[in-house]
Amino acid sequence: QRHSQQDTRVQYERIGADVTMKCGAMDWDAAVTWTVNGSDIDESHLNGSYLVLRNVHLGHSGQYSCYEGSSWHLKYQTSLKVGTPPKEPVLMCRSNNYPKRFYCSWHLPSPTYIPNTFNISVIHGTREMVCEKEAVPKNRCHIRYLQLFSTVKYKVTLTVTNALGRNSTTITFDEFAIVKPDPPENVVAKPVPYSPRRLEVRWNNPSSWPDPESFPLKFFLRYRPLILDQWQHVELSDGTSHTITDAYAGKEYIIQVAAKDNDIGTWSDWSVAVHATPWTEEPKYLTTEAQAPETTTSSTSSFVPPPTTKICDQEKVVGS
Amino acid sequence: NTDEAGAGQSIQKTYDLTRYLEHQLRTLAGTYLNYLGPPFNEPDFNPPRMTRAEMVPSATVDFELWRSLNDNARLAANYRAYTHLLCYLRGMDGQVAKADLRKSLGHFCSSLQGLVVSIAGVMSSLGYPLPGSLGSTDPAWAHGPGPISPHNDFLKKMDDFWLLKELQTWLWRSAKDFNRLKKKVPPAAVTLRLEAQG
Repeated sequence: QRHSQQDTRVQYERIGADVTMKCGAMDWDAAVTWTVNGSDIDESHLNGSYLVLRNVHLGHSGQYSCYEGSSWHLKYQTSLKVGTPPKEPVLMCRSNNYPKRFYCSWHLPSPTYIPNTFNISVIHGTREMVCEKEAVPKNRCHIRYLQLFSTVKYKVTLTVTNALGRNSTTITFDEFAIVKPDPPENVVAKPVPYSPRRLEVRWNNPSSWPDPESFPLKFFLRYRPLILDQWQHVELSDGTSHTITDAYAGKEYIIQVAAKDNDIGTWSDWSVAVHATPWTEEPKYLTTEAQAPETTTSSTSSFVPPPTTKICDQEKVVGS
Repeated sequence: NTDEAGAGQSIQKTYDLTRYLEHQLRTLAGTYLNYLGPPFNEPDFNPPRMTRAEMVPSATVDFELWRSLNDNARLAANYRAYTHLLCYLRGMDGQVAKADLRKSLGHFCSSLQGLVVSIAGVMSSLGYPLPGSLGSTDPAWAHGPGPISPHNDFLKKMDDFWLLKELQTWLWRSAKDFNRLKKKVPPAAVTLRLEAQG
């Protein structure tokens, strides 16, 4: 009958380390039994009454117990957790609801397999700012812009600590540099009756953008027929609608919109894509006399983009 | 004349001039910082603000305060800032060795002078007095650059760096200010207000 009444301690060790555990106060030459997660450990791992684990890996994590040979009293118990010290965390700050707040989010480039604690400090000039943490997502917090139009940079330092080590990263940025709206919402594209080359596109400001009146957004619209790869682009500095006037008749189009503050920051990611096909005339029922010679068009009609269209590759600009 | 143009048009012109200056300054600042050379032209250069640079009118404003500014206060802040920024800029203009850069700076100063006049025009068309003599409550910079204290070349360059950065930030702020005013002050409403004032 094994008696276990010890409160469990936790022991952290690095992957690859050699670990030796003593059986509490028992002498080196005492007769003992070691178990891991309730299973006996082979004697080959013992050095006298000491347990020796070489070049530990994640699989070594578990509850280790040592019992005195004859009385089976529990003499030592520990929960071994094998892991790594934290690498330099990746930290990113962004404002998608300027000028109300910005948020900073972070992650570790690789797991540590043991619990980590994060501490963030946000300094603006000489002022330390509060970073309001949220339950979800855990690795994010929000900072309120107390001042606008500041030439003083923000300095954000994130420190990550666990039982095996600590690391940190610091970024500095101007207030305006991290402004990146969310994509436009409710994008709708419709044919324009009796206009075979037009498509009318409408969208809304991202609902997260708090004050479009004072901080107007400009937009970037891209569109292409499904059967072509090359996008056409148009930049719009006013309003939330646009009429495409050079669509190829009868071709289904894919359309997306991105947003940016009129003055500062970077483009949002592209909106959800919408599809639309320009208006086409209803096919008339041909009588025998009116049978017009059929002009056969190959299934994939080849056509040349209208000369007026300025095709520019802004791919690299948006959402980067 | 002003009546015909109306405050709405006057504000629109001031807004357009602000955007033009924003664009011009982006190029000019890049050229000037390259003229100053490293570390001033490095993107992450973030020097401390020395006492003289503290004298340059700062565009930084408390968020809630800025939102709650009335039109008069908003315009007055702009007018006062550019009046002083112009003095500082002219101080820079006279010390540049490169002729083409000096010419660009001179041209920019003239445009900035145009902005000051334009803001004054908006204020008078809205019936607001121009900010006159400076009271004691005005920030330290409101009294102008003061005597240019002799100090070394690096510190002088630091002042120029901060002046350009502050000027860029003011133009950004002003674009937002005049954008707000544009939407708040349609031409028709203003005419009624002027008549009401007799």
